[in-house]
Amino acid sequence: MEYLLNQLVNGICQGAIYAMMAIGYSVVVGVVGMVTFTHGEVIMIGAFAAYYAFEMAGNHILLGIIFSFSAAWLVGVCVYKICYEQFFNAPRNISMLCTIGFSMVVKNLAQIVFGPNQKPMLNIVDNKIYKLGVVQISTVQIVVVITVVVSATVLSFFFNKTRWGIRLRAVSQDKTAAYMVGVNVKRTAMVGNCVGCALAGVSGMLLSIYYQTLQATMGGSLGMKAFSSSVLGGLTDIRFSALGGLCLGVIETLGITVSSASFRDIFAFIFLILMLLIRPEGFASKKGARP
Amino acid sequence: MKDKLYGVLAPVKKYGLFVAIGILALLPMVVSKTYILGLLCRVLMYATLAGSLNVINGYSGQMCIGHAGFFCIGSYVEAILATRMGISFWVLLPLAGAAAALMGLFVALPTLKMRGVYLAIITLGFSEIIRLLALNWTDVTGGAMGIKNIPVPRLGGIEFSNARTYYYIFLAIAVLFLFITRRVIRSRLGRAWMSIREDQLAARSLGVNTPAYKAVNFMYGAFWAGIIGAAYAPYARFIDSTIYTLDEGFNILSMVIVGGMGTLTGPLAGSVVINVLTELLRPIGQWRMVAYGVLIIVMMWFRPQGLIGASDSVLAGRDIKMKKSGEGAK
Repeated sequence: MEYLLNQLVNGICQGAIYAMMAIGYSVVVGVVGMVTFTHGEVIMIGAFAAYYAFEMAGNHILLGIIFSFSAAWLVGVCVYKICYEQFFNAPRNISMLCTIGFSMVVKNLAQIVFGPNQKPMLNIVDNKIYKLGVVQISTVQIVVVITVVVSATVLSFFFNKTRWGIRLRAVSQDKTAAYMVGVNVKRTAMVGNCVGCALAGVSGMLLSIYYQTLQATMGGSLGMKAFSSSVLGGLTDIRFSALGGLCLGVIETLGITVSSASFRDIFAFIFLILMLLIRPEGFASKKGARP
Repeated sequence: MKDKLYGVLAPVKKYGLFVAIGILALLPMVVSKTYILGLLCRVLMYATLAGSLNVINGYSGQMCIGHAGFFCIGSYVEAILATRMGISFWVLLPLAGAAAALMGLFVALPTLKMRGVYLAIITLGFSEIIRLLALNWTDVTGGAMGIKNIPVPRLGGIEFSNARTYYYIFLAIAVLFLFITRRVIRSRLGRAWMSIREDQLAARSLGVNTPAYKAVNFMYGAFWAGIIGAAYAPYARFIDSTIYTLDEGFNILSMVIVGGMGTLTGPLAGSVVINVLTELLRPIGQWRMVAYGVLIIVMMWFRPQGLIGASDSVLAGRDIKMKKSGEGAK
């Protein structure tokens, strides 16, 4: 029981990171209206940006956040310019294949530039273990959860209170209508894509701190997990995507406890299939624009 | 002028196919280098593999990007049954295809009523799951050690143990695949697939049972991928899970895209281009995959229907849009 409770805490922490990825994913899909396969690679770029920031400039987590955020933002601009801007009126599969091509380029370039092997992440957080009754919580876990909660709050403020956020939501709901009332749709879509990517970058940094490793090929399965999580919200709803990420993290960690760690990725897949069988359009009953 | 030209070209069109097959069949006697023969084997193998993916992606407009999974199933079914039970290669060939087709049905079922994206991500996940199973289920698949010493196929007194003889197996499968697929595409089944690709709603309203046809389409594509997987295992003599990564799936996909989706000869051309390119780019090593990615993006920007694809297909995307808006302006 004790062990299971501890695993539950681990799962929630893991799920918080997945939730952040899924939030990024649903922002991208919601605002741009097209599906991305580069999300995993953006996560990887964020992790590496933080790694090099820590190595060159010093051990502070804020530094890592800033660097991974801006690096992922830049990648987001590239993704938008290459994969989306030309193809708003074309069939969806064209931009989708374009993102697949882009992810191939980024992944293999990263393997060449950063090296194909696993790298150990520096010790950013002074790791202590606190005991709350039978449950053990480490400092890293607290830092991760706090970062995710703070970013989600900032994002929610940004979406609901600022002009840019309202524009983003308008574009996400209906592009034509937004265009009619004078929103610069293409520019807004680009910003939305960049915000989603930047969140993914920060989540990549958190993941690499949490696991203490990072690798150029880590993106593939992570992108799939971000997708699986956001299916819960019909790919576009932010709150349900975050919930999906949490669920996925818990299910995965508990699943590993009863089976073997090498089956980690299989649980994401089973979760996805179950979701699609139960409620394929997601739990957020939003009418209108969907990918 | 056009009729006259057609009159001249008609016999070429009629017999060209047989001549081409004849030339291909005679090639191993002319070509002496094993290296070139190995390349030819790869081209034929990937032509069939990409062709089977093209049946799914090109003809019915679904999106399968984890084709390596079916390939993997075919290979492992052949390798396991041949090494453990000593069943003949020729029996296992259709059996592996059937196993892959069954798995294709299993993958397609949850997504039949949904749009392409879900199917795409499910096939991606599925391919990765199959690879992980092959890596971790050590009792059956040999785990990271793989399966060694897969027995070579025999027919009469001939032993298909090198590229020179194995070439004929790949050639036979490729010709059989092209022949059968051509017949299928021209049949009711193929027309139903294409109607789904062009407009699913319209097809449905005209009485096409879209879920059933989509499931059959997926099984058909998976079946041929399984067969070619089964043919690959004894050719390589050794298989392990590192062959069937997602990159392999993207590799097959890029052949289909470069050649042209929705055409029979497209994947063949794509296979030739990519495999020859692979050999030419061998000196730059790792940059090869980067080049593939750039190639896909360039194709999507300038010629989304591929090298051979027709510009009036729905796959051509931008062109058809421009034409429509132009007509509207008149």
